[in-house]
Amino acid sequence: MNQSALANTTVRLILLLLCLTLAEGCSSDSVENYPDRPISIICPWSVGGATDRTSRQLAVFLEQELGVPVNVINATGGRGVTGHSRGLKARPDGYTLAIMTVELNMLHWQDLTSISFQDAIPVMSLVDGAGAIFVKNDSPFQNMQELQDYAKQNPGKLTATGTASGGIWHLALAGWLDFSGLKADDIKWIPMNGAGPSLQELASGGVDLVCCSLPEAKTLYDSGQVRCLGVMAEEPLAEFKEVPTFISQGMNWSISGWNGLALPLETPQPIVDKVSNAVKKITSGESVVQGKTFPEFMRAAGLSTRYRADDQFAQFLKTNDETLGKLLTSDAFRKMSSRGTGPLVFPGLLAAGMCVIFVCLAVQKKVPALAPDVSSDTVTSRGIVNTVLVLSCVVAYLLLAEKVGFLLTAGAILFLLLWKLGTRWWMSVLITILFIPGIYTLFAQLLRVPLPRGMFGW
Amino acid sequence: MESTFFTALQNIASPEVMLVIFLSAVYGLFVGSIPGLTATMAVALLIPLTFYLDNLSAIAAIVTLEACSIFAGDIPTTLVRIPGTPSSAAYTEDAYSLTRQGLHETSLGVSLVFSVAGGLFGALVLIFAAPQLAKIAFQFTTYEYFWLYVLGLSCAAIVSTGSRLKGALALMIGLMFSTVGLSEVHSVPRFTFGFDELFTGINFIPAMIGLFGLSEVFRNCLTSKTEEQTGKLVSAVVTEDDHSLFKHLKPVFGGVLPRLWKQKIGWFRSSCIGATIGMIPGAGADIAAWISYAVSKKCSKTPEEYGKGSLDAVGDATSANNSALAGAWIPALVLGIPGDSVTAIVIGVLLMKNITPGPAIFENPDQLVLVHGIYLTFIVANLLLIPLGFLAIRSGAQLVRVPRRILMPLILMFCVVGSYSINGSYFDVWVMLGMGIIGFVLEVFAIPLGPVVLGIILGGQLEQTFVQNLTKDDSFLSFFNRPISAGLGIFCIALWLVPMIMPLLRKKMQSTT
Repeated sequence: MNQSALANTTVRLILLLLCLTLAEGCSSDSVENYPDRPISIICPWSVGGATDRTSRQLAVFLEQELGVPVNVINATGGRGVTGHSRGLKARPDGYTLAIMTVELNMLHWQDLTSISFQDAIPVMSLVDGAGAIFVKNDSPFQNMQELQDYAKQNPGKLTATGTASGGIWHLALAGWLDFSGLKADDIKWIPMNGAGPSLQELASGGVDLVCCSLPEAKTLYDSGQVRCLGVMAEEPLAEFKEVPTFISQGMNWSISGWNGLALPLETPQPIVDKVSNAVKKITSGESVVQGKTFPEFMRAAGLSTRYRADDQFAQFLKTNDETLGKLLTSDAFRKMSSRGTGPLVFPGLLAAGMCVIFVCLAVQKKVPALAPDVSSDTVTSRGIVNTVLVLSCVVAYLLLAEKVGFLLTAGAILFLLLWKLGTRWWMSVLITILFIPGIYTLFAQLLRVPLPRGMFGW
Repeated sequence: MESTFFTALQNIASPEVMLVIFLSAVYGLFVGSIPGLTATMAVALLIPLTFYLDNLSAIAAIVTLEACSIFAGDIPTTLVRIPGTPSSAAYTEDAYSLTRQGLHETSLGVSLVFSVAGGLFGALVLIFAAPQLAKIAFQFTTYEYFWLYVLGLSCAAIVSTGSRLKGALALMIGLMFSTVGLSEVHSVPRFTFGFDELFTGINFIPAMIGLFGLSEVFRNCLTSKTEEQTGKLVSAVVTEDDHSLFKHLKPVFGGVLPRLWKQKIGWFRSSCIGATIGMIPGAGADIAAWISYAVSKKCSKTPEEYGKGSLDAVGDATSANNSALAGAWIPALVLGIPGDSVTAIVIGVLLMKNITPGPAIFENPDQLVLVHGIYLTFIVANLLLIPLGFLAIRSGAQLVRVPRRILMPLILMFCVVGSYSINGSYFDVWVMLGMGIIGFVLEVFAIPLGPVVLGIILGGQLEQTFVQNLTKDDSFLSFFNRPISAGLGIFCIALWLVPMIMPLLRKKMQSTT
């Protein structure tokens, strides 16, 4: 009892000390001082892709312009739902920037999320990659007209891929078919996870066509392993002048995927201006890193860009949203999305497999072998109490960390656990003081993982 | 050819490049040994730095970092039973059992030497056979991938200790978890119960940390192992009265070279498996480790030791996962198709530096120097791993001397921070917590955890290829209509059916005679 009272006092003392020492370094999140701590960019797509490359490039330049570290977080999955919601629903304090991609204007039409461009303060559009049709180098098709004729005479015979069902390149192909008077599923769409695997499938002879943007196919295209039949842009691309547009082949069809930077709604205007001015300096080529400007870097990576600032970007978002909405809600596209192997087939097979296994286990009549070291002999009542404590500590961390910050929450939890598991209180204090700031420095400073900061800003 | 090779040698021997290699090796060891931080993430953090480096240094940094971090993943696997990278999940039980026997230094020594040997083998394959082998990538369509994933998963279920049925059950559980979230092929949310966070699905890294790491914390607390005063592990190898100069080297390296010689066939076989699987885009070090583990068990004279602390298992699987790394560079350099997520970043970096990976880089003399530089870096990085890896083992090994009442809370902290750091998301910490409880329960019923992890990792891809195949052609027979897919498919089916039919056949034989 005496010991626990002592420990309680110590905990209070440490908390007080920590507060005092950190209060000095602690800075209020005032608008004038922005930015005075690291900024995160939320990228909705995975490492290595075009959007990720753009985000990381931009981060390097923003770091120079704003003078604080800028980290890229890849919040992937859910076809972009996860990343877009995290970026645009973040605390509107200017310390979380969102990369938006064309999917923002598609997902809400497909009832996958409620987030739309209206939840964003657009800052600058960056990449603008028109769709293009690729075939393997030994394919009989030489231009779009031949392809169109073949598809007309042999509906359902050709296969194409490039992205998941209902993704932008699927929409691009289906839209073109519809526009040319064919049925949207006259070319069968094989859903695939991104342009990389799709192109490999094309080169292996698994599909007949791939629809994706030219930069995504740059390596295979440059080496002549795939050919490009046409690009869905209004004018030939500067980086790929030799590729004919659909329009030059008599098909008035253009569609492109884009990405751009945005801030969450309700971000204070001065912060928006600061970010916007910095980005304008970057995209206009004023800002130089390692002797190269941002546009030069983007050209080197083969990414076509289209810089639209603020209101211009907002206007573009609105028209783009309408265009895509019209396509996605059209009968042709709706009808097509609902065929093929259903989403519950695979889980159903798994469930059936599990049932078979359970039946087998029951037939074998073996009493399930239990692990020898967890049994009624070894489990003590104290052990149960400790386990419940560990569980509740993790839950407490989850509930408190965002509000109170990593240092205080983790410190309190570590101390409590050490002490309850039988370490002396002063030893527990010592370990806590040594490790928690250590972990913080390691992750937040060296490895650039933005640990929870809480209401004090640290 | 020779002149470019010597130019590459000169380039790489320059102090700046060597310094870059050294620093990235240290960084790689560091990142790899922290659960939750992956090689991919570490390489992504390097991207801004590569702007400031010349071409060779930039690529050398990535190669070294990757090679070192995969080995470093074995350190927490062995010492605290949290796989540092998914590739270590195949032999987690073996490595951790060795630690409980006080043989952690021997186990890590085997990991280190076999990693280096496997890495060097992979490098040699990359150097001498890249252009010829790269075409393998073009043999793989969705049909072949489907069977390859089935093969990897079957191996995981079959080799796991205990009954095969429980292995299969574990696999099904893992696959079931992989179906949570927005289905990539259908764009339909499944089992999300209205939570937006579940759209992403269950990330395998927090799942892995929870299943292995947190469940171990629970078990230690529940059985009050934390209260044992003698709860620290003492090395079974170090003798206190040994005062020779090599006192510290002995437990790690003692007997490893003879073992490498004795196990040379296993090493060669596993490295070949690793390099082959590595060069198939979409299959990587994790599948390579599982398949080579299974093959190793089948070929072993002592299969009963597997899963209970077999050094053969650790050695074979770890050489496979390291040799897979170099394999992944083959399609990346020769065809411009990334073999894994790290080489996907490499292609981005190369493009940024005005180099387009593909057949052309082998014809342009300037770029050929860079390619040879990459070859040499693989060798240098693997050799550098021996001293640096030894230091990492030495400092890591101090961990097991810490009493469990102190170690367990610290492990818990790392579980929480590690699972948060992969995506910066609280939801991943919830996943880690849930998986910790599930892992604990599964172990009580003696259901292996390895297949659960592999099921979560490969489930999505397995389903995708399954649906893609059926979209191309409605008939199941089409799964066998290409030579490689037919071969792989029949092999997979035989893998499951033969052990079931054999006893029946034997019985019939006996009754007739």
